[in-house]
Formats: sequence, C-alpha cells, structure tokens
Amino acid sequence: MSPWLIVTLALLTYLSRAASLVLLPKPSPRVERVVSRVPAPLFAAFAASSLLTSSRDPASVEAFTAVLVAVAVAVATRTRSLLVILAAGLGGYLLATGVRALV
Amino acid sequence: MIFSGAVQFALLGLLLAGGSPLAILATAAMLNARYVLLGAALRGRLRQPRLRRALLAWWLLDETAGLALASGAGAARVMLLSGILCYSAWVIGTTLGVVGASLASLQGLAEAIFPVLFVGLAALSIVNRTAAIRSGNAALVTVLLIIVFPQARGLAPVIAALAVVLPEAKR
Repeated sequence: MSPWLIVTLALLTYLSRAASLVLLPKPSPRVERVVSRVPAPLFAAFAASSLLTSSRDPASVEAFTAVLVAVAVAVATRTRSLLVILAAGLGGYLLATGVRALV
Repeated sequence: MIFSGAVQFALLGLLLAGGSPLAILATAAMLNARYVLLGAALRGRLRQPRLRRALLAWWLLDETAGLALASGAGAARVMLLSGILCYSAWVIGTTLGVVGASLASLQGLAEAIFPVLFVGLAALSIVNRTAAIRSGNAALVTVLLIIVFPQARGLAPVIAALAVVLPEAKR
C-alpha cells in the first residue's frame, strides 16, 4: 500500500472531523436544535448496519442476542450508562454462546 | 495516522479484495461523512477558539462524540479524555495485531460488541420517547437502504439519520 494513500486517508479522516468543528460558525438555536437530534438516530442506524454482514446476511445469533439484551436493558432500566449497556450486551453474547454450546 | 476503526476495517477488506486506491478513498469518504454530522451536533457545545477546536477534531469519534454530547457541560474535556483512552486502546490493539497476536477466538465477540456499542451510544443520546422512535425508524431505514443499495452501505446510516430528522426540521 502506497504511503501517499495512507497520508491521503489520514488527511481525509481528519478533515471530515475538523470540517464542522473548525469551519462552522456557532449554529443558531434552530439549527442547533435540529443537529442535536441527529446523533441518536445516527448511532441506532450504525447499530443496525453492524448487524448485517458485507454480503447483507444477518450477523450471528450471538450478535443479535447481545443487541436484544442490550436494548431490553436500556429500555427497561432507562439507563444512560454505556458501561451498563455494554455489560448487558456481553451478558447476552455469553448467554447465546452458552446455549449454542449446549445445543 | 488513520485514527478510525471503521476505515481500518474497510481498508483491510478492500485491500484483501484487491480494491483500487480510488475505491478505498471513496469508501473512506463515505464512512467519514458521519463525522461532519457529529461535529455539527457538537459544535454548539464547544466554545473554544478555532485552533483548539482544530486540535479537538483529532479526537472526534463515535464514542467520544456520544459521551461528549451526553455530558452536557464540559464536552471538550470529555472528548479529550475519552479520545486519549480510545486512541491508546486503538494503538495497543493495532500493534498487537501487527506483531501477530492471535485474537481469532475473539472474532465472534468483536462482531457482537460493535452493534452493542452503538446501541449504548444511541441510548446516551436518546432524551425522550420521540427520539427513541426516531432512532428505531433510522435503524429500519438503514437496513432497507443496505438491502436495496448495497453499494452505498457506508452512507446508509447517515442518509437514514438525516431522513428521519430533516422532515421534522420544518416544523
């Protein structure tokens, strides 16, 4: 892989991050209200995207179970703790792995 | 140098598949489009001068943006600290991979933990029932977009998020 490609990728990655933070003026309250709504659906969209493989097949049963348990815990407890949700997901993954080993 | 797990994974896949430099750059551009949105969402919370914001931009990741947005005041500090943690973990993980550590047994866990991480970040960002519904809709739209337009997979989450948010902006 060419060093120039690595440098270009690094620049592209940094510039995409800097574009909004550096170039944008402080947004008006209306714009701020709109953009503040973006992260939650964006992260949910990435979660959904991660559950499909590159050939568009569903991810493993373990991955689905991990997500289901994480979502269930997030909804039931209304927690906003990332650690709790990660732990719940890990629990779901281990549960599914254990069940698969038994079956 | 390329501090982005998503780009790293995509790069690996494309290199193994013999992808051209142009395909690699186009994929990276699609994957990085999210940072423009996350940066815009964070911009109002960062009152630092332009040079400091330029330095902070290095630490803008999904994880750091999610934590910074949830933190309210002190977003810059949260972004910096979580960014340093993420960067350290990323460098250590990448180095272990380069020197040949065999983590193949963790592949299944890695496959499961990414969507869970994004569920957690979404939960951090959901402030009310409407936001929860919007997030569910974005997840559905993403799946549909990927099924119908697989070549635009990298952009699908960004398009889906905008598709559920922008119509409400008119109200």
